[in-house]
Amino acid sequence: MTASDPTPRTGARIAFVPPRYGEGVVGGAEAVIRETAHGFAALGWQVDVLTTCARDHFTWANEYPAGESRDGAIAIRRFPTVVPRSRADRARYEGMMLSGDTLTLEEQQRWVNGDLRVPELFHHILDHAGDYSALVFAPYLFWTTFACTQVAPMRTILMPCLHDEPYASLDIFRPMFSGAAGIWFLSEPEHETAHRLFALPDNHRVVGAGVRIPARYDVEGFRSRHDIDGRFVLFAGRRETGKGWDDLLNAFAAALQRHGLPFSLVTMGTGHVSPPAAIRDRVVDLGFVGEADRDAAFAAADAYIQPSAYESFSRTMMEAWLAGTPVIANGASDVVRWHCERSGAGLTYDDEYELAQCLRFVAEAPDAAACFGERGREYVLTNYAPESVLRAQEASVREWLPSDPGGDSEAIA
Amino acid sequence: MRILVIAPYAPMRDGIAAYTVQTVARLRAAGHDVEVLSPFPSAAHHHVELGSVRGALRLLPYVRRYDSVLVQYHPDVFFKPGVRVFERERIAAALALVWRAARHVELRVHEADYAGKHTGLDSMATRAMWRAASRIVVHTRTERKAFHETYGLPLGRITVVRHGGDFAMRTDMSRAEARRRLHLPEHEVMFLSIGFIQPHKGFDRSIRAFADAGAVAGQARLDIVGSVRVEEPQYVAHLDELRSLAAAIPGVHLHVGFAGDDEFDTWIVASDCVVLPYRYIWSSSVLERAALYERPVIAARVGGLQDQVRGDSVLVSSDDELITAMRQFLAARGVSAGGPPPPSASPWPLGQTATRADVEREIAARAAVERELIGGAPATGVAAVGRARDARAASAAVRRLPRLHVAAPDSPRPGATFLKTVIRRLTQWELDPIVRQVNALQRATVESLERSAQAQQDDQPAATSRTLSPDE
Repeated sequence: MTASDPTPRTGARIAFVPPRYGEGVVGGAEAVIRETAHGFAALGWQVDVLTTCARDHFTWANEYPAGESRDGAIAIRRFPTVVPRSRADRARYEGMMLSGDTLTLEEQQRWVNGDLRVPELFHHILDHAGDYSALVFAPYLFWTTFACTQVAPMRTILMPCLHDEPYASLDIFRPMFSGAAGIWFLSEPEHETAHRLFALPDNHRVVGAGVRIPARYDVEGFRSRHDIDGRFVLFAGRRETGKGWDDLLNAFAAALQRHGLPFSLVTMGTGHVSPPAAIRDRVVDLGFVGEADRDAAFAAADAYIQPSAYESFSRTMMEAWLAGTPVIANGASDVVRWHCERSGAGLTYDDEYELAQCLRFVAEAPDAAACFGERGREYVLTNYAPESVLRAQEASVREWLPSDPGGDSEAIA
Repeated sequence: MRILVIAPYAPMRDGIAAYTVQTVARLRAAGHDVEVLSPFPSAAHHHVELGSVRGALRLLPYVRRYDSVLVQYHPDVFFKPGVRVFERERIAAALALVWRAARHVELRVHEADYAGKHTGLDSMATRAMWRAASRIVVHTRTERKAFHETYGLPLGRITVVRHGGDFAMRTDMSRAEARRRLHLPEHEVMFLSIGFIQPHKGFDRSIRAFADAGAVAGQARLDIVGSVRVEEPQYVAHLDELRSLAAAIPGVHLHVGFAGDDEFDTWIVASDCVVLPYRYIWSSSVLERAALYERPVIAARVGGLQDQVRGDSVLVSSDDELITAMRQFLAARGVSAGGPPPPSASPWPLGQTATRADVEREIAARAAVERELIGGAPATGVAAVGRARDARAASAAVRRLPRLHVAAPDSPRPGATFLKTVIRRLTQWELDPIVRQVNALQRATVESLERSAQAQQDDQPAATSRTLSPDE
């Protein structure tokens, strides 16, 4: 069964449970969930998305209306978030974790409950878990996953989007990993990290993530619509310190100053963009853009930069490669280094000096850099074509989970 | 015509104050009845404490009395640093009211926030403030375009007036006389970087470029002249950095202290070339004063400087270009550039056959050379390249750690920027030395690891040759 030739599974129903979902939501895990949900729908599954009313993962404010809506073939059901007025305790525990302190179990619980909570979602799953063949939760770190995977673990597929970060060592997450009916990993380094941290169930697999192949790249239209002339490098995603954005800005400023590079830095996504004064005129913030512009931006760029040290897959790298654009990535991330080494299509850097030289290479040897982009496209088409990834995911659902939804309804004790 | 000029004013030691004095002189010479209002007690006719809504509104009775009001606009004059957004909105609205009450208002913009977030009430109030003026004056075409795009004002209301239009010479000394007055040797080729000591002026770049251009002390010199405008910790820290660099590099002389108008010009006359490697700026009065005395300038290609430079001045876009420009200037004056040659890199591996490993090796080698240069250690050319290849793996884990820096005190959340700014100021004296120390430790660790890896590498061939020696 393939996406192009689906054999509908009448009555087969699957739920995806991300903390945020929607057109204006930026995030790798969220994008993967959305693509996967649409993929299952195309295969003939009845797909529900159970999520929150939030768009912003800092405020968790309820921006979307609660209740039911549709995203094409997908039924969305949103539930309001409840956010404590003060998150001081959570911030304190977070500070302790990041400075290497060990939290007691109670402190870990207080930490995870100190952010958003979605009691109505939890109870909906409690009431309806039996309606689904599988419930897919992602990413591991959020309350929606942490709390709701406890409802029906034997129907739960976890797509953790795991990074090697202090939170991952918390004891409270161990049962979530060991008790899931199955786990989908996006990359081999993520899989290895999980083995190092948790006792995994037998049912786990590196499935990757399918990356949509754009029909065309309207580069000229993109440049004209956004008034972008000249050569540029691109960053797409959440412009946050944790994603390496601030470090990228500082390193890019230093590289421009030292080498007079011909590039602007074009960026799209969410988050506050505040470049150093010296490069304000060289940083172009497109904000959130639609799919067509997003695709074209990847194709128009001289290179895509992935500055994040915490990646479980890096979908944006795949999008860049698909567009034939070379990638320059932070070598601190095992995942992106793995992709770069496996594909031979990306350069990694370990500090700002190496980033500067990577940029110089792209500036001074554009033809050689373009060869990297070609290798990258081949790599993505070979490994992450949506149909093959979906096939692996669906096969694992059939293999791991009960085929008679409603027949063995379970709930937490 | 009765004209009121609102601006910082002499004897305040401030570039805008000095600029205003010259503007007032020109207007009065043209027969106008000019009075000055300054935000601090000064040589001005009036003074009003600005920086608040109340202060802004106190301008109302003044502006009505004149045919025209000329404002030397700098945000710090009207808005205290770190002002809350709400307060800024109110002040901007009050200023809009004041400008509307006047018969004619010209705002000469010395600085404006072109790159900030221009949405919401704050932006509306700021635009209202600009729109209430009869005329906006900037100093370069680049700035005019930025102003138009940022604030949506019609181009017809934004006029470009040459920064140095009102400038007059304040000394008629010759170069030799100026050198004698400043006790400088006459035969040395002299580069000069002059102005307030602030990181964005880039005087550290002048010093590094002077060293990397291979300038030889005794034949060439670089004089850095200036003072710290406000005792902000980051400015003081920058001065410390300049002191360290100047002490380490022969031929560099740091003169800390405010140079009065005459002395300022004397330094320019004494120099052979003025070096202005600004990291950012919109227009430069130093550049105008250098032009006044026909001194060549090497300046960064930032802001509107490209519209300001004239004659045999050179614009540079990078440190590499700055080094080259200084080297060429020395050569043109018959001074050979000594010191190490610039790091030469082998060509990039090219074409379909170039593997990722090939390119990454070259990147690592070039980065190692640059790391040594920026870190202050002498470049060792091919040896450094060789070392880089072997040592990269040894130091990678440490180099991947991003440099520690204190986050900028800004936030899109209302009030958070103000709070963060206050906290930053209160803790800066404690945090900044720690940040510097941590970064220095990181650099030292990288160097240590690489030296150690290199030492092991050096030992290996020797051991091999001993093993293979027929005598043994």
